[in-house]
Amino acid sequence: MHRFKTIVSISLRDYFHERLLSACAILGLAAVLAPLLVIFGVKSGIISTLTDRLVGDPRNLEITAVGSGQFSPEWFDRMSAKPGVDFLIPQTRSIAATMVLVDRGASLPATLPVDLIPTGKGDPLLEKYASVPEEVSAVVLSASAARKLQTEAGRTVVGKVGRSVQGQKEQVDIALTVSAVLPPEAFFRDAAFVDIALLEATEDYRDGFGSERFGWPGKPKPRSARSYPGFRMYSDTIDDVASLAAALNEQGVEVYTRAAEIEVVRSLDRSFTLIFRLIAVVAICGYFASMASNVLANVNRKSRHLGVVRLIGFSTRNIVWFPIVQAAATAVLGTAAAFLLYGATELVINVVFGQYLAEGEYVCRLAFRHYLAAFSLTLAMSVLASSFAGLRTAKIEPSKVIRDV
Amino acid sequence: MNKAPAAAFSGPKDGAPARESDPGGAPVFLTRNVRKVWPGETDFVLTIPELVARPAEKMALVGFSGCGKSTLLDLLALILRPDEAGCFMFHADPDPPLDVIGCWQDNDLNRLALTRMQRIGYVLQTGGLLPFLSVGDNIRLSRQALGLADDGYVEALAERLGIRPHLKKFPSQISVGERQRVAIARAMAHEPAVVMADEPTASLDPFNAERIMRLFTDLVEDRGVTLIVATHEWDRVRELGFRRVRFELDRETDRSVHSRVIG
Repeated sequence: MHRFKTIVSISLRDYFHERLLSACAILGLAAVLAPLLVIFGVKSGIISTLTDRLVGDPRNLEITAVGSGQFSPEWFDRMSAKPGVDFLIPQTRSIAATMVLVDRGASLPATLPVDLIPTGKGDPLLEKYASVPEEVSAVVLSASAARKLQTEAGRTVVGKVGRSVQGQKEQVDIALTVSAVLPPEAFFRDAAFVDIALLEATEDYRDGFGSERFGWPGKPKPRSARSYPGFRMYSDTIDDVASLAAALNEQGVEVYTRAAEIEVVRSLDRSFTLIFRLIAVVAICGYFASMASNVLANVNRKSRHLGVVRLIGFSTRNIVWFPIVQAAATAVLGTAAAFLLYGATELVINVVFGQYLAEGEYVCRLAFRHYLAAFSLTLAMSVLASSFAGLRTAKIEPSKVIRDV
Repeated sequence: MNKAPAAAFSGPKDGAPARESDPGGAPVFLTRNVRKVWPGETDFVLTIPELVARPAEKMALVGFSGCGKSTLLDLLALILRPDEAGCFMFHADPDPPLDVIGCWQDNDLNRLALTRMQRIGYVLQTGGLLPFLSVGDNIRLSRQALGLADDGYVEALAERLGIRPHLKKFPSQISVGERQRVAIARAMAHEPAVVMADEPTASLDPFNAERIMRLFTDLVEDRGVTLIVATHEWDRVRELGFRRVRFELDRETDRSVHSRVIG
């Protein structure tokens, strides 16, 4: 143990004594590793930002039916229980799912026909951008609807639903509290998110029936199972979208998803990874060759001193560590230098491209495990590259070298 | 540089009486019929019919360049593999006698290395100091590797050799003569039984050579260490009380040169 410690110690002393050459080796490593880290950081940063955007945008999780079908309440119960389904709510006939909103509080009363979108507890779109209204009489407006009505969260608007019964025009009003307004990126059309009960009542009213709940006149709706022409569905993760879409297709329901956009990011990730791997392999091979030849040249240059160390009585077992310890020192210091260079570059890249990014997004980013992997791999490569020189060192015969001046 | 008095060289371990020359004691080296061949355009063959080195003996291998004295020294220093050997024993207390030729045959190089580290010191012609270690660390190298305590022995040795002020310097910062003294200190720092020296003063001016050689022999006498020196200075080693070992050179054919050691 004393002998091993002594070898490690004199190896490091030699490394320090030749600090100029050691610094060259360290910078040589940093020069290979830092650009690799930057490439990988950019790849990893862009891909994870794109993926986060995909995952973070509920619209990518949305599965929309194309055209209209006939979906029973049992179908909704069955589908809601399916793994991968996060949120599912029925949609009434689109032609009946409209309402005219009026904000009477505004200086110039504004009137706007809006689409009614059903919502309920767990709606990912509203949970991300606002909150689900708790009251039946509360409503969340899309940004364009709120702008055109010149209203804002907390105010009350009046919803008007009209019908024509035997040529006679009829209309009911309902006071609705604007509980929240969605940001522009959440929804494009003029729309109001309301409780499904209000949608059903609106549809029934248009069909000539009344609503006890809202006090709307009309004959009572006969008791029969309701059938819905559509639905709003969100999957748990972007990975579930394709399988849910396939399951619906099997039932003969044609759907629209953003699977194509998701696939674009996925294939971008695959291509980036492939390119990065190719670059990394070439760089690692180059580094390996340069490290191995550098260490070997050093051992040859120092063969007389190593011969003296052997003469003093260090065993082959001990002396193989002499070049390996130095290579490991280069790996540690070179990786540290590369991390510093990379860190500075990462900072610059993220500042320069910061304007295109939202809070918490990065163009260039490495996780802790990436640093750890870079360090372990470099250390392993360096030790491997120097082990041949180590064996060379062990083969030095003192009697052949100690008299060379 | 004044020659330090012998009394100054008194490490804590110095209380024990120095090993006396004991002609009847087990020999440090006992070799018979050892042969080493350097193949080449003209083969060089060194034969050692018999060579015995006793404890605390001062032995000089004397001959001109190319007679094989470095080869013999390396054989004795356990760093050169003999091609043939009837008998090659090394004995240094407290170890049991070591069958050197057996170790070479079994390829037990670690055993030879350990013996070298514990029992043998070697002074090279040009010092052979490690340039990346300070003078002090060069001297302490074997002690450190053997895990020996730093008990002031190295400082006392450096004092005696007149290199104490240089312990923190690097070998490149001191003179050739001082380097040679450091090499002697390094060879003796771990209190070996045998010290070998290959032309230890050949690179020095006659005045310095004389002084350092005398210091060296005084030192090994005080410590009761066996000293084996390869040199070409026949007369000087006689004055210093060395037993002289000669080489008999004869060119037998055009193809080979034979050198025989006359013990």
